[in-house]
Amino acid sequence: MKTSPQTVPPLRPPSQVMRLSRLGSMHQCRLSFMRVLTRRMAAEGWAFSRPVFDIDDKGVGHAVYVATGPERAYSLVAFAHDLPPGQRSDRVIATAWDATFTLFDGIPTQADIDRLSQNIPLQEAGRVNEKSLSVSRANRSVRLWEHVVDTLSQGRQPDPGMIDAVGYLMRTTAVYGSGKLGASDYEAVSERPELRVPFQAEMLSVYLTRTFVRDLVNHMARARGGNMAVDMAPEIARRLGIGNSTGLGLGPFIINHPRLFNNWIMARETAIQRVRAIETATARQIADFNDILHRSRALVETWRSQHPVQVARLARLRADLDVLQAHLAGDGLSAAFPWDHLIRWSEPALSQEGQELLASLILEPHAALVDDLAQSMADTDFDVTFIDGAMPVSRVRALIEARFGWALALDWSARENCARAWYVSEAKLEPRVGERFEEPIAPYETPLAPARDAVAAHVALRDWADGKPVAAFLLRHPEHRQSIRRAQISATAPYCEIQDNTIAADMFPVDLLRVKLAFFGATHFDPRSDRWVRICMFGNAPYPEDLAPENADFWVYPEVRP
Amino acid sequence: MTYALTEVETAVRKAARGAGYHWGMADDAARATRWLCAAGLDGVGAVAALLSRVDGQDRAALAPATLGGDWRGLSGALCPIAAGTALSDSAPFWADDGKRMAGVILPLLLLPFAASAARRLGTPVCVEWDGVRAVTSGHSTGLVSDDRAMTMATAGELRVHISGAVEPPLPTKARAAPSQADWALLNRFAQRTYAPETEESRLKGAGAGLSDND
Repeated sequence: MKTSPQTVPPLRPPSQVMRLSRLGSMHQCRLSFMRVLTRRMAAEGWAFSRPVFDIDDKGVGHAVYVATGPERAYSLVAFAHDLPPGQRSDRVIATAWDATFTLFDGIPTQADIDRLSQNIPLQEAGRVNEKSLSVSRANRSVRLWEHVVDTLSQGRQPDPGMIDAVGYLMRTTAVYGSGKLGASDYEAVSERPELRVPFQAEMLSVYLTRTFVRDLVNHMARARGGNMAVDMAPEIARRLGIGNSTGLGLGPFIINHPRLFNNWIMARETAIQRVRAIETATARQIADFNDILHRSRALVETWRSQHPVQVARLARLRADLDVLQAHLAGDGLSAAFPWDHLIRWSEPALSQEGQELLASLILEPHAALVDDLAQSMADTDFDVTFIDGAMPVSRVRALIEARFGWALALDWSARENCARAWYVSEAKLEPRVGERFEEPIAPYETPLAPARDAVAAHVALRDWADGKPVAAFLLRHPEHRQSIRRAQISATAPYCEIQDNTIAADMFPVDLLRVKLAFFGATHFDPRSDRWVRICMFGNAPYPEDLAPENADFWVYPEVRP
Repeated sequence: MTYALTEVETAVRKAARGAGYHWGMADDAARATRWLCAAGLDGVGAVAALLSRVDGQDRAALAPATLGGDWRGLSGALCPIAAGTALSDSAPFWADDGKRMAGVILPLLLLPFAASAARRLGTPVCVEWDGVRAVTSGHSTGLVSDDRAMTMATAGELRVHISGAVEPPLPTKARAAPSQADWALLNRFAQRTYAPETEESRLKGAGAGLSDND
């Protein structure tokens, strides 16, 4: 085949990738943390067991699930409670839950269980030590739980339509990790290969929680129905994931960890670039892609939301998939640089949801080419935080202009450009976003508007001579220290900054949550308001007893009959 | 009770902000405290004492006036966070001649910044004051001192300079064990950063609903 030497397509620029609306349109991909975890566990042949399941007929008790890898074991310690409906709240300020959990480092002794039983059910009001890697809690989906227990107890299987409509039997309302409530710091375990990739402990906790929830619902059906009861059929259980309901607690994370966030985006963008640089698609790759695309449609079909923003996006996404299918039916992927052509074609042709779904999907047939990038998603340079004070003022100004040129042109005194303020409330110590001009919150503002702050630093730098070291500026202007540090980080981390105004009147906070959840591997994003979203995790994944290399990778896409 | 180092960092960041430091300085105070705790030193005790001491004071008067020369605050005292950040930021400028400071409050808090400078310069850095001699490479730190000098409220004269090898290095710690009184003090300062609850903010701000019964 004759081809003209084509240059490798560049990485997509931050000005394109880092817009909030695009980040808020991201989908899971091969590099998502859940999929990294299941691939590793299957490849290494992890063993799973349930040494304890001590739960009474009211659903009260505890259970232990052990996952054993090549070098170490981890245990989910689950506490099940009998929660009156009036106490069932998915707000972070709740004080009681249907079930509470910790991922224990190793296998707990009875003394460990006794200690944990005094603390884990209390969540924030309790305390753990470095033997805990996560602390979490979950509530039942009341509508689905009752239906499933009821049908199973009568010897029937639950209605698949209802299973798909909800997608999970329990949803977590917080999964706390590194250092929270006394748990182990990520830094203390990050040299373990199985925990190096971000959020692996939290994802393992959720994966085992899903198994516990299946076992618990079977147990409760037997408690109700006795000999009449049957276990949930495996093909139905497999459809179920674990839900998650999250408010703004997640939002600040990606702003407060600019280098880590850069690493996530950089890994995915590099993977996209590598695939786009492939000159010829093999028949196998094309077949695999078409298969995953087909299955991906099934995933999108079961994705439901009532929120007007997401309803509109979903309608566009479904139309996008038709357009994509029609496009592929034409030239298909037979031309040179087929993936690059496909991405270029998608940019005017599809919505951002569609473009980002496609960008994730083209990675699927290329495991050997992209999976190594998962290792680069960690940020383990824990100490590299110093400011290069010798850097001349002119260079700092240039860095700010490169990243925030668009923000320099914005009128930051206009109300619509600074209408919001992020703060932490006294009541529950959780991040919130409020209306600067309507609520008395400005004095408590937390620094989550890097664009505004970078512009302020740039303005202050104007009167400083080009050659002056920025250390001299910082001595006089400690109020700009954070912006200068971020500007220097951006020199080597091009995707570290969101390219939008995070305090604008029309900012959609769920966008900040969605991108993080997409990197986790979540699906079925369902905003319940502009700052609260429900998702599904590990839906359709093999349960531990079935996990194997052949099903550890593509489980997120439902099998569809030809 | 022991605390995760992340907890220490989070608590100090808020507390330092509550005590009037700008966010970027609070970040550095938090990282410095974490560093001390990881070296097995009582960083929380030092930072709690610092915040009590400087609360309500003009921070500019506690900072070095210029990058060059000896450092002394306008007020006669020098904030270790202001001096420390300047020390780390400007490491290449003083690497040849060293740096002398007078009146550093809670001088223990200067060590993490010397460690940062050592990493940056690629050579160990020595900090000396009133009978304390600490050498840090940024990766490991050795210390000759008695407890009284380590925790002293203000150093008379403090010297920082390039140094030879670290020996013997302190063992590193994965957890912090601050006193309950110091921890409570941090939380009182942190409390100032929280917006008072209003019904409106409760309903509008967080986003989640009141009931999860669906």
